[in-house]
Parts: sequence; structure tokens; C-alpha cells
Amino acid sequence: MTVPDVLSPSTLTEALDLLRRHAGRARLIAGGTDLIPRLRLGENRPAVLINLSRVSIPGLRREGDWIIVGAGMTHSALARAPEIRKHFPALACSCQSIGGRPVRNRGTIGGNLANASPAADTAPALLIYDAELRLLRSEGERCIPISELFTGPGATVLREDEMIVEVCLPLPRPRSGASFIKLGRRQSMAIAVVSVAARLTLDAADCAAEVRLAMGSAAPVPFRAATAEGLLLGAPLEEERIRAAAAAAREAAAPISDLRATASYRSRMVEVLARRALYLAWEAARV
Amino acid sequence: MSEMRIRVTLNGAPMELRAEAGKSLLRILREDLGMTSVKEGCGQGDCGACVVVLDGEAVNSCLVLAAQADGAEIITVEGLALQGVLHPLQRAFSEMWAFQCGFCAPGMLMSAYALLLHTPSPTRDEIEEAIEGNLCRCTSYRAVIEAIDAAAGEQRRGGLAAGAPDA
Repeated sequence: MTVPDVLSPSTLTEALDLLRRHAGRARLIAGGTDLIPRLRLGENRPAVLINLSRVSIPGLRREGDWIIVGAGMTHSALARAPEIRKHFPALACSCQSIGGRPVRNRGTIGGNLANASPAADTAPALLIYDAELRLLRSEGERCIPISELFTGPGATVLREDEMIVEVCLPLPRPRSGASFIKLGRRQSMAIAVVSVAARLTLDAADCAAEVRLAMGSAAPVPFRAATAEGLLLGAPLEEERIRAAAAAAREAAAPISDLRATASYRSRMVEVLARRALYLAWEAARV
Repeated sequence: MSEMRIRVTLNGAPMELRAEAGKSLLRILREDLGMTSVKEGCGQGDCGACVVVLDGEAVNSCLVLAAQADGAEIITVEGLALQGVLHPLQRAFSEMWAFQCGFCAPGMLMSAYALLLHTPSPTRDEIEEAIEGNLCRCTSYRAVIEAIDAAAGEQRRGGLAAGAPDA
């Protein structure tokens, strides 16, 4: 591969400064599990790589009703973190579904998002938990909801000198249940054919007070199926409604055909997985 | 191309070398440090033939750049045997026919080694999870799983201390 220059800053400030100075010609490298294969394929030719392995971003902390996750946390670390397993099980499950163990040991949540694959496994899970991203650059910072991050395959609203530093997760209310299902050609080391995440929060009357349904590999970007969510909101859950919501999710999907599956198969699977994911979330919410 | 000085601890021994910052750890291990147990299969993190243990975790060495490996503690198959005595994993692999062509074996061994570092009594599911990033084209998976299970048992019984270079 044509290897670009690698710069290894030792602080976050230094990294942001390098990113500003090399804006447009640099890529940040964290775990490298996605970027390095792309460099080898020649898909991506940044002149400079900014290596984040010496930059320490705090891992995981609680701030009031939020869990704050450092963007440099690996998928392995997230999948086994007790706070994530307890409060955000669909996220733990999505992290666990990525690649194989060696990939999860290196790949980071920030990298998974910044690469903006339509199949990014953590994206549907973060969408159902209303995650917000803290973005930093030398001149300041901003927070955006995860739903505003992706603009197309491999494309985000990130500015050239901007870095995802934290993923902020509001703790779900009591009586919430969530699920994540990934369909791949095999169980591990597979890119999703379709992935679906769901979250339901029940009120005292067992009606759905909050509904989230999100999908990956089903459109140019991971997205929430708003119409499907609306069909379930404020009403008691029942089989007919869940079926209708799953059908609406299929309507909302705009998948492509590629070497992993055809568009028509993906559409059908969106409906099947949405139904299953909603049932699983419902079951978990009732416990 | 920027060359840099890299310090690593390889199988317990501190080393220092110069390498291009973007060179893969896999190529450094094979070409500069003579660790030819580390194999290149796909070069994309899909096959696991290049797995080594880096700071206690199994990683694909083809997906680590020199600049990222600087300061790391690395263990390869060359570091498993202790004073000529094979590690329980190596013994179990050879006695239980856990490899045929052998190309995946070093990666399998290092994934298994990382597993036993953290989980001395793994369940079958945990063993399967540990090697899910290691492809074996001879499909010896069942024998590999049984060998890891047997080696874990032997380690627990204290047959031989784990051949960790710092042990």
C-alpha cells in the first residue's frame, strides 16, 4: 500500500491542531480496522494519518442521567462494560456482533461512526438510544444527535478539522426494553446484510410511551423508521400493530443489491427482523 | 515516507528498531524481527493468520501500523515455549490434531493464549468466541476447540505454568 505519513500526537489538543493544519489531507486513525484495509485497496489516499494511539480520551463515565463513552473505546471494551450491558444492552450486542475478537479488540466506536458505513453495526443501536455526539475541533465544540451524523455512504457532517470525542447516552427510563438483531452471511466476521435495533418504553397502562426502530444496511445511511414508530406510539402493543409497524419499516427501507444480498431480499428481511426486534424489545420492557 | 524509532517488548525482551511509521506490525515482526510464525493470509483483518497478543489482547498484526505498535508488549508463538518445553496449548494442538496444513495455527494459538490470560476456565462458547476471527481452511475447528479446552484444563491443574515470558 502507499503509506501516507503518520503523525503521532500525544495529547488531544495536539491532535486537533494537526487535524486543523492538515485539514482536507489527513485522516485520523484509531483502531484502523476499517481504514487500513481501505488504504491497502487504494480507496482512500490521505497524505497524512494522525495516529491517536497516544491520545488518551477517558473511557466511560456517568454524569447525572447520562453515560458518556469516550470515542476511543473499543468494541470489546464496550461489549463487556457492565454499565453498557445493563442500561444499553442493544449497544453491547451490536458491539459484540462486529467482526471477530481481534477486530473488536482494536476497532473503536468513534471509528465505526466516522467511517459512516451504511452497515455500521453500532449506528442502529445508538439511534434507538438517542445518542448525542460531542465533536471537537481546535476552535470549539458542538453536540449533534446521532441522527444528524450520516449524510451518505462514507459521508458525515464532520468538518475536516473535527473529531468525534464522546458518545453521550441518556439513561433510558424505567420499563424500557431494547434489542439488536444482525443478519449476516455467517455469525462472525460478516458485514451486516441487514441490522435492526428497537427500543420500547412502556407507561403505567402498558402503552408504548416511547418507540424507536432503526436499521442498518437498508438505505444509504443508518436511519430511524419514523412512520413505523408512529404506528406504535401511545397505544397498547399487540400483534397486529407490530406487524403493521414492521411493514412500514420495509416501506421506509431503500436497500441496494450487492455481493451480500439483493435489494428485494433485504427489504423482506427488514420486515422480518423489525417484527422480531420489536417483540424482543417488548418482552424486555415488560420484565 | 517517515521513518521512526520504535520500541517494543517482544516475547519479554525489549527491542528497538527503525521502521517506516506506516509499515504493518505483521511485516515488522516477520521481516525485521524474524518472527516467521506470524503469517499473512488476507492482509485485511479477515482471516486471523497474523494474530499476535498485543498488550494482553489478540489483534490482527496486519491492521496495526508501526506507529501504533510503539511502546507495546507483543507476544508471538515464538514466546510460548518456556526453556524448550512447549506451552500446554502447543502440546494440546499437536497431540489432538488441531491443525492440518498449519497455516492458521499460530493465529489460533495466540487467540487461545489471549483467552486463557483473561479466562482460565473458558466455556465452550467462550472458546468459540475467542477464535471466531481465525479462519481454518482445513476446517479443523472442532479439534482446535477441544485442544484449547484440554490445554485450559492442564493449565488449571498446574501441569505447567503458562509460558508467559514474564512468568
